[in-house]
Amino acid sequence: MDSLIRELRFALRDPVVVLAMVAGALLSTFTVFSGLKEINAERAQIERVQQMVDSDRAYSLGDQSDAGSAAYYAFHFTYDPPSPLAFAARGVRDDLPWKHRIRMLALEGQIYETDIGNPELSRIGKLDFAFVAAFLLPLLLILLLHDLKAGEARNNRWTFLSANSGNGPRVLRGRALLRAGLMFACVMAPFAVAASISGASATSTFIVFGAVGVNFAFWTLLSLFVTARIDAGPTAAALLLGGWFFLAVALPVGGKLIAENAAPAPKGGELLLTQREAVNDAWDLSREATMTPFYERHPKWADAEPVSEGFDWYWYYAFQQVGDQTVEMMSRDLRKSVAVRDHVMGMISLASPPLLVDRALASAAQTDIVSFQRYDQCVRDFHAALRDFHYEMLFGNTKYSAEVMEGLPRFVPCSS
Amino acid sequence: MSTVLTIASDEWRYWVRSKLGAAVALLALIVIATSLFATMSQITSERLNRESLQVKAEETFRNQPDRHPHRMVHYGHYVFRTPAPLAALDPGVDPYTGTVIFLEGHRQNSATFSPSYDGAQAGPFARLTPALAYQLLIPLVLIIIGFGAVSREREAGTDRQLVTSGVSSTSIWAGKTVALAGVGALLLVPLLIGVIVSGATPVVSAAFLLGYGLYLLIWVLMISAASAWSKRPSTALLVLLAMWTGLSVLAPRLVASAANVAIPTASQIETDMDVLVSLRELGDGHNAADPAFNRLRANLLEQYDVETVEELPVNFRGIVAMTSEADLTEVLNEYAEKRMAKQAAQANFVRSLSSVSPFIALQASSMTAAGTDMRTHHRFLREAETARFDFVQGLNKAHAEKLSYTDDINRNNGEEASRRARVSAENWRVLRDFTFEPNPSGERLARMTPMLAVLLTWVISMGFIGFIGARRLPEVDNG
Repeated sequence: MDSLIRELRFALRDPVVVLAMVAGALLSTFTVFSGLKEINAERAQIERVQQMVDSDRAYSLGDQSDAGSAAYYAFHFTYDPPSPLAFAARGVRDDLPWKHRIRMLALEGQIYETDIGNPELSRIGKLDFAFVAAFLLPLLLILLLHDLKAGEARNNRWTFLSANSGNGPRVLRGRALLRAGLMFACVMAPFAVAASISGASATSTFIVFGAVGVNFAFWTLLSLFVTARIDAGPTAAALLLGGWFFLAVALPVGGKLIAENAAPAPKGGELLLTQREAVNDAWDLSREATMTPFYERHPKWADAEPVSEGFDWYWYYAFQQVGDQTVEMMSRDLRKSVAVRDHVMGMISLASPPLLVDRALASAAQTDIVSFQRYDQCVRDFHAALRDFHYEMLFGNTKYSAEVMEGLPRFVPCSS
Repeated sequence: MSTVLTIASDEWRYWVRSKLGAAVALLALIVIATSLFATMSQITSERLNRESLQVKAEETFRNQPDRHPHRMVHYGHYVFRTPAPLAALDPGVDPYTGTVIFLEGHRQNSATFSPSYDGAQAGPFARLTPALAYQLLIPLVLIIIGFGAVSREREAGTDRQLVTSGVSSTSIWAGKTVALAGVGALLLVPLLIGVIVSGATPVVSAAFLLGYGLYLLIWVLMISAASAWSKRPSTALLVLLAMWTGLSVLAPRLVASAANVAIPTASQIETDMDVLVSLRELGDGHNAADPAFNRLRANLLEQYDVETVEELPVNFRGIVAMTSEADLTEVLNEYAEKRMAKQAAQANFVRSLSSVSPFIALQASSMTAAGTDMRTHHRFLREAETARFDFVQGLNKAHAEKLSYTDDINRNNGEEASRRARVSAENWRVLRDFTFEPNPSGERLARMTPMLAVLLTWVISMGFIGFIGARRLPEVDNG
């Protein structure tokens, strides 16, 4: 106990330790609170857009008299609300779409629409807690721990320490653990506060604590391992920083190349081109060329007498759907490749603690590829429900009316 | 001078002997080489692809069969922005904006497909372009190699030996600086090769390299300065890591966040909704019966002195399409210009704070040289929009003049009527060749100059701080 208090006093008197701790606490505080601000802004935006889209739909449905025009003019808002932990890791939310304005037209032409914001700002990237906890903390730890033994030796205390306690290395190990522990507390305290404000679940909060803890443990042990063998502080530091460079930069760069080569993906641009041409060409093709593949997939309506009022809306929506069917395989392959790439990247990240933590936090925050694909599927399911609803009027016996339209499907976010 | 070189070569020998410097530099070279190879091969293939795609897209459009002209308005057309040569080294905003736009009637599309859609998620450093490797990682490599250069000698007391043997403290500092600058120059070689291979014009290449040279020199001088000022290598390391994190990681991100706060922009969906509301007042150009076109009809009937639209010498539906496209484009352009102005203001906000961080100054100068900055992209958007409006109106003109109103309104009454409501493929020649030229070298250089000036100021300041620090060398060695 005495030695703990002594070590604590040592630590708090060392300006380098105090500065590093303050830096860690400041970075953590800034990132979690700007993260909270960001998810609150996203929630407000969702609410705002939902209202805009709702009132717009009410307006545009007001003077429609048939199912085809109603489906054409009615927009629907789909979105993936931020999870309570999303403040801690932005994940893919700035790169991949999390909100859409969807119509009953061909979905493949709509679902890749991404709001990139200002590209020069996107390029700089955002600072989130995951970045601090996964990539910057190791640097702070290296700074704190590379010099412990060399510092004692410099002050001619090392011989004394070793001779006196008979166990110099143990004192230093204790010192290293205490300093790493202090740093951990400085970084995690603001996170814990933000997590409770945000109402994050105990499990996901625990996962974050565990993941960041693993990162801390790894870099602390690595520092101890290196400094035990290398007496010169600068050499130890350079070696540790070299290790950081390898694990945080070189390995992810190489891993990304491997992961992307592991699963070839159809080109998104080609998918869009193919789908667009399929839809455009349909205007000049015979009706059968569209209706045959449509009925194959929708046997329910094969024998129905489709409703024709002026313009043949049923045919229009059939060729929209057939356009999607044309690229169905490409679209599925693309999604599968993205999933496989993510999986491979997950395996590779086992070799890099910083990357592992980054991915673990995105996963806990539901801002990773898995959550993105869940949202993507959710939009696809909603679009299918929308089509089923309108097909009843376009092909079936349900007559278009304001009452029927009250049953118009409404998007509900899919939970994990 | 020879003393300086002796000290420099001694330092080099130390780095080679300690193996670590050599190992880190080697690792850095491998990372740079990987990023160079990956980025350049990708961009080069895309570039070749794009040039042929542009020609192919134009051919496909012109070779479409006889059709109703409005079908071609929706059939649309692609324009491609062929990247400038240096884009292979600094893709800038391209991975975010994409470089292909689909042009069609009634809409201004943005990029067709986000290139990062199918990327593996590998952390913040994995999207490593050669530019980013030099902007972010090489300074760190230089820090690892050089933070102990002067302070190591001081801690060991060897600087005093040097001074007593007649070497001036300034020479020690200068020698260490030269040694580290040598490492920096060595690390620049891959970039130099990349620039030569890319085949960019010599002036722009030189300015591009100058930016990176100045930037690395800033770091070299900062490292030797911190090393000269510090009593212990660990203090130098602390200071340098703090500088690196502050200048290259935190500052740009904080400035970007500040730009977002200072100049807020609406999300794309909200803007789209606003556009929709504005457009509603214009009427639907597909529907000539829309009351919004009543006055247009009355004017036309009066102008040609006829009673009904059937009697008009032009196709009223084509006239409506033309008028409404023009009105709609005006609204779309108004919103697009507003959005671009906001984005440009945000980018200028960041640039105006470039003196805070050489990283920001270098990014801006590098993207400008490579022609991959947002400004260039905005020009592409505007030129694409002009191309869009031209071909759509060309088709609408054919609609108004070459297709009779009667045939047009009967187009849905069976095969024969549908055939009659078509115009000949001759009319698809309205499409003009689209080529996007990078900004002229002179303009790019002019826009780079303030950023290069910022970098030069940093070089001078860091050199000065180091010089002052060096003079403290002999006095403090017993501290």
